[in-house]
Amino acid sequence: MSVAGGQVAGEVVTGEAPAEEEASRAPLKRRDNRAWWLVLPVVLSVAFTAVIPLMTVVNFSVQDVFSPVDRVFVGLEWFQSISRDPEVRAALVRTLLFSAQVLLLEIPLGVALAVVMPRRGAWVSVALVLVALPLLIPWNVVGTIWQIFARGDIGLGGWTINNVLGINFNYTLDPADAWITVLVMDVWHWTPLVALLAYAGLRSIPEPYFQAAQIDAASAWATFRHIQLPRLRGVLTIAILLRFMDSFMIYTEPFVVTGGGPGNATSFLSILLSKIAVGQFDVGPAAAFSLLYFLIVQVFCYVFFTVLTRSGR
Amino acid sequence: MLDWMVWTVPTALVFAGLALLLVVMAVWARLSPPVARRGFLRIETDRGDRLYIGLISAAVVLAGWIAISDLSMWLALGCALLVAVVIGIWG
Repeated sequence: MSVAGGQVAGEVVTGEAPAEEEASRAPLKRRDNRAWWLVLPVVLSVAFTAVIPLMTVVNFSVQDVFSPVDRVFVGLEWFQSISRDPEVRAALVRTLLFSAQVLLLEIPLGVALAVVMPRRGAWVSVALVLVALPLLIPWNVVGTIWQIFARGDIGLGGWTINNVLGINFNYTLDPADAWITVLVMDVWHWTPLVALLAYAGLRSIPEPYFQAAQIDAASAWATFRHIQLPRLRGVLTIAILLRFMDSFMIYTEPFVVTGGGPGNATSFLSILLSKIAVGQFDVGPAAAFSLLYFLIVQVFCYVFFTVLTRSGR
Repeated sequence: MLDWMVWTVPTALVFAGLALLLVVMAVWARLSPPVARRGFLRIETDRGDRLYIGLISAAVVLAGWIAISDLSMWLALGCALLVAVVIGIWG
């Protein structure tokens, strides 16, 4: 995390080690820092694909740009108008709510799925393939599948809800139905990722832990609570971060299924942003919007990461 | 050559400042390696971590200020720098 820390990592701390130990470290003592050159391609490619474009976005965010030669400096005006825009604020609340629901549903479901998946035998491969299947489908195809599946007239899901369960369900007219459709679609698409990560975490727990639990006559819940869950901390940290970032930036699926509607019911930040940037081609406000969006993602990810990785220490 | 990046003087100054900050931190780390410790943030941080947290917090102060307040942004900048300095020293 720290720049300063990274700088030091390349050095070899010699200290006052005994002579023998000194000798065994002799090849390292020359402070051969040539390995840093191996990092150069990464630095260059990140600069080229991320840092320089981001700097350009910052430049755009303080100007009204008509063309590279025809532009006006407007200071922080775009930041003010974007951060006070009721539509943007509503989209932010909607996106945060969506991310919270996604995490609350997908993390427990994924862990539960991983716990009940077979640990050995022929069914392991079958279970893995079945669980991984939704992950192999491209975003826009998932959107198309659910767009048809949830329709009341020709979709199996929508038709069943309307005609078998007798519930009036129409995601093109009812905001709640649209929200539920997008949420269930995301759960269907991404719970497998959490499940696979958790499954890998569970499989790495050595067998003696379970044998000890068995000797102590621990219940299944106690085994899960005191052996499996603590050992899942690492993979769950990654799962929560991935699912938060991905759901907070969700675009393609709701765009294909609902197009942000009905009304603004499923207009998440990314959909609104692309409307401003690509639809209206207002690059100044869009740049300010992107930077505020980026800041929110940064803050949330850093807080999540810190809480999850350092709370155990 | 850099016309497409539509540079302005204020943004160039900000980025130059950030670059200078990174260089200073790197040189400082070489002269005296950073030591991790615990401050009021209650997590173990070294000075690089605190710089990062301080800068992000300053950005949050600025963004929050512009979203809700009509007071001068210079005042906001002062508060943001104060937050960054406090985190850097006691965080």
